[in-house]
Amino acid sequence: MRVLSSPLKFITAAAVVAAVGFGAPRSAQADVPTLNLFIWSSYITESIIDGFELQCGCKVVETDYQSNAEMAAKLKAGGDSQYDVVVPSSYYVPELADEGLLQPLDHSQIPNLKNLFPKFQNPDYDLNDKYSVPYQWGTTGIVYDPAKIKNPPESWSILYDPKVNPNYPFVIPKGEGRDQIASACAYLGYGFNCSEQSQWIAAAKLIVETKKRANFAGFVDETPARDQMKSGLIAVSTAYNGDIASCYADGSCKNLKFFLPKEGTEIWVDTMAIPAHAPHPDLALQFINFILNAHVGADLSNFNQYASPNQASQQYLTGILNTELITPTDDDNKRLQFLKPLQGAQYKLFNQIWTSVLQ
Amino acid sequence: MSKMVPRGVRNVLAGISWPVYILLYTPLALVAFYSLAPAPNTTGHSVYAYGVLFHDSTVFVALQRSLVLALGSATVSTILGTLLGYGLCRFRVANARGLAANLPSLIIYTPIIMPSLVFGISELIFFNFIHSETGILSAGLMTMVIAHITFQVPYVALTVFARLAGLDPNLFEASHDLYANGIKSFFYLTVPVVQPAIIGGFLLGITLSIDDFTISFFTAGPGSVTLPIYIYSAVARKGISPEINALGTLMITTVMVLAIAHFFITRSRDRRASLLPT
Amino acid sequence: MARTAAQGEARARNFRLWLTAGPGLFWIVLFLLIPSLVLLGIGFFTSNDYGSPVLPLTLTPFSQVAGNSLLGWDDGNIVIILRSLEQAGIATVVSALLSYPIVFFIMTREASLRPLLLLLIILPSWTNQVVRTYAWLELLGPNAPLTAVAHALGIVPPDLGIAPGAFAVTTGLAYNYLPYMIVPLYASAERLDWTLVEAGRDLYASGARLFWHTVFPQTLPGLLSGVIFVAIPAFGDYVVPQLLGGDKALMIGSLIANQFTETPDWPYGAALTIIMLVFTGAGLVGFRILTRKLGGAGEATI
Repeated sequence: MRVLSSPLKFITAAAVVAAVGFGAPRSAQADVPTLNLFIWSSYITESIIDGFELQCGCKVVETDYQSNAEMAAKLKAGGDSQYDVVVPSSYYVPELADEGLLQPLDHSQIPNLKNLFPKFQNPDYDLNDKYSVPYQWGTTGIVYDPAKIKNPPESWSILYDPKVNPNYPFVIPKGEGRDQIASACAYLGYGFNCSEQSQWIAAAKLIVETKKRANFAGFVDETPARDQMKSGLIAVSTAYNGDIASCYADGSCKNLKFFLPKEGTEIWVDTMAIPAHAPHPDLALQFINFILNAHVGADLSNFNQYASPNQASQQYLTGILNTELITPTDDDNKRLQFLKPLQGAQYKLFNQIWTSVLQ
Repeated sequence: MSKMVPRGVRNVLAGISWPVYILLYTPLALVAFYSLAPAPNTTGHSVYAYGVLFHDSTVFVALQRSLVLALGSATVSTILGTLLGYGLCRFRVANARGLAANLPSLIIYTPIIMPSLVFGISELIFFNFIHSETGILSAGLMTMVIAHITFQVPYVALTVFARLAGLDPNLFEASHDLYANGIKSFFYLTVPVVQPAIIGGFLLGITLSIDDFTISFFTAGPGSVTLPIYIYSAVARKGISPEINALGTLMITTVMVLAIAHFFITRSRDRRASLLPT
Repeated sequence: MARTAAQGEARARNFRLWLTAGPGLFWIVLFLLIPSLVLLGIGFFTSNDYGSPVLPLTLTPFSQVAGNSLLGWDDGNIVIILRSLEQAGIATVVSALLSYPIVFFIMTREASLRPLLLLLIILPSWTNQVVRTYAWLELLGPNAPLTAVAHALGIVPPDLGIAPGAFAVTTGLAYNYLPYMIVPLYASAERLDWTLVEAGRDLYASGARLFWHTVFPQTLPGLLSGVIFVAIPAFGDYVVPQLLGGDKALMIGSLIANQFTETPDWPYGAALTIIMLVFTGAGLVGFRILTRKLGGAGEATI
């Protein structure tokens, strides 16, 4: 019996040595002010953080989350007193603001707001950028494998019409259901921003029918779906333009094609906001203003491969950012719409409809 | 004792077990294969991802934090769980009925049954409350360790219980006569007897801790990013990158090489020792 | 005199029980039961438009659990629970059937090799669950060798994979939870009393009966701990059904998780959890009563 313990001691000892060897976790010193940033991992570069630390004489502590919904759950359960800056997607801003989880921004502390494109200074989801400031933006379209699906129309029918893709596996994102119901509405001719209960239910029924098709390969969110596209597990999926740009850039998905459906699709924004009980709101405002600097905004987009909402940054963008994929043409722009915020009872009804689709 | 099993049966056992071992490692082989992805805009396999990984300090800080969290929480939960399993096996009135007698069992099961999101959110609300009232336990490594201990204790306790249950009670009585002292009898008799269960429980604790995302996410404070939190977040935004596959490959090969090396070292030492005249 | 001695004995026994079991129980009560009571209490609140709990108190969330919603009644939740039970049940049976031969295989190897073989069972679980499960998705995908066999047999239509699907979910669950069955089973089988097996050899003609009457009762406590470690977490798992099932068929774990995240309705989520705790708790009590009958005098499970 003793023999069992010795390898364990050995491994434990090795792990302890390794743990100590990496050096103790960096802990913030009490006298240096700290900005607590709550963001997706690898969504900001080390160099921007270093630049801000130098400017503010403070320390930035980054914490990662996996989805808007989990971030919102953490803020609701009291996490809003832990973080100074969070990065919710545009359609989440009204919900967070209505729930009292965000604080209004003091625009006098953010002079760089003027650098934003006019359309990002007064978006539908947050009038006059009261609670949020755009961080990066992008579009949601369709990615498909042209070797399997030959010359499909640029339409949502690639998902919802069994005749366009009778055989090959495809997925629909899971998420909160907004994009899905909207795309089904667009396909049915109600428009991407349908808002009638009867239209939602018709769209939900279409998705339930789609779920029953043999080649439906499940509810998979955009980024994991792109990975499945790359390894040939599926042939069609919705996708974020930046995800496709980055795999075009590193050469790992050159065989795939991307389009924005003609019936209309989403333009979205990831935004910066300050939680209601943020410990260091002044630093947070400084940070937001720093990101809106023309050069910093360009660095950010050059790193992330997503478009910059910052007009002043445009001249510094490089590579694929200047292509139609990231910067849509005027024709494409007509197809793009912000998702209208759902508030109050509408939100609740929508959730129940989406829940019944998932069941 | 193993000689009790006839050769034919042993062959059948091996015939079932080796394929299962291979099956356990097949996905990991694929992970290792994907870690050798070509560098950007090139073709052919490369160790590019490993280079990227070694320059990413956040990953190693997260890995180190996960190791501290796993070892720390598994140590405490092994002590609590062993005592718990031992106590319930030895000192509880056998086959008692009624709610009071069954209550300890139901309490032990709750961490296993509780959905992880409910678990995590409850802890977050609780620690927040404690912190705002008393100023202690601000969200961070400490609150994560406490939560991790909580979900590991039942696994240790049930494993230890499984080993003790059915053991001849007279054994304990005899040792009681021998050592006269409960504590001595616990350390000289019980601990050696349950040692494999203690170690098994400890390993399960490590396994649970090192792979936990949800409970860690909600009990973490600013900056306390563990490896699973880093990986889940990176996967959501960037997909499963070759670097993440490289990290998994490195972790498994390191532990495996250490364990196999240790096996050969102890075996050769034991053989040498057995050659010496006593 | 005799009575006081017996009382003293009982008191000493009780004292030792609290001294050993007390700290662990206290820890769970303090750090899980009390915190979760607060959250589960939410199950009796009204849900506001954003799914947060507000007054007045109500039983609406429990009516939602029963299947009522704004859109009328449907059997969705019942289907979800039955489906989860089925998946967890199959995964438990599969891992139990695999665990016995593996545990006895390890036990019949030389002593110095055994810890290594046991560690090798646990080791794969130290990689990230998402990474591992994604690898399974590829192994069961449309271009995988195993799928080619399924295509040839006509089980899966051409161009499609085995994953996502119910079979893939079962495979993923069994793969994930196998170590949690093997460890307790090994811990209890390692101290097997072989003299009983030897004695039984004269009594029972067939190997199966020998196993059933001599080995099985001795390993029952380990098996039961393993069943609990596999069945309950598999019942509530949501990572495997999401990745390998594509969430085409919702399981109870995902249903609860959704109520706190994507489609927030915290009171409904809390009510679902309460119902699940009550039924699982009742199931475990039933399980204990059953095992007492199986295990004879001694208690086979906590």
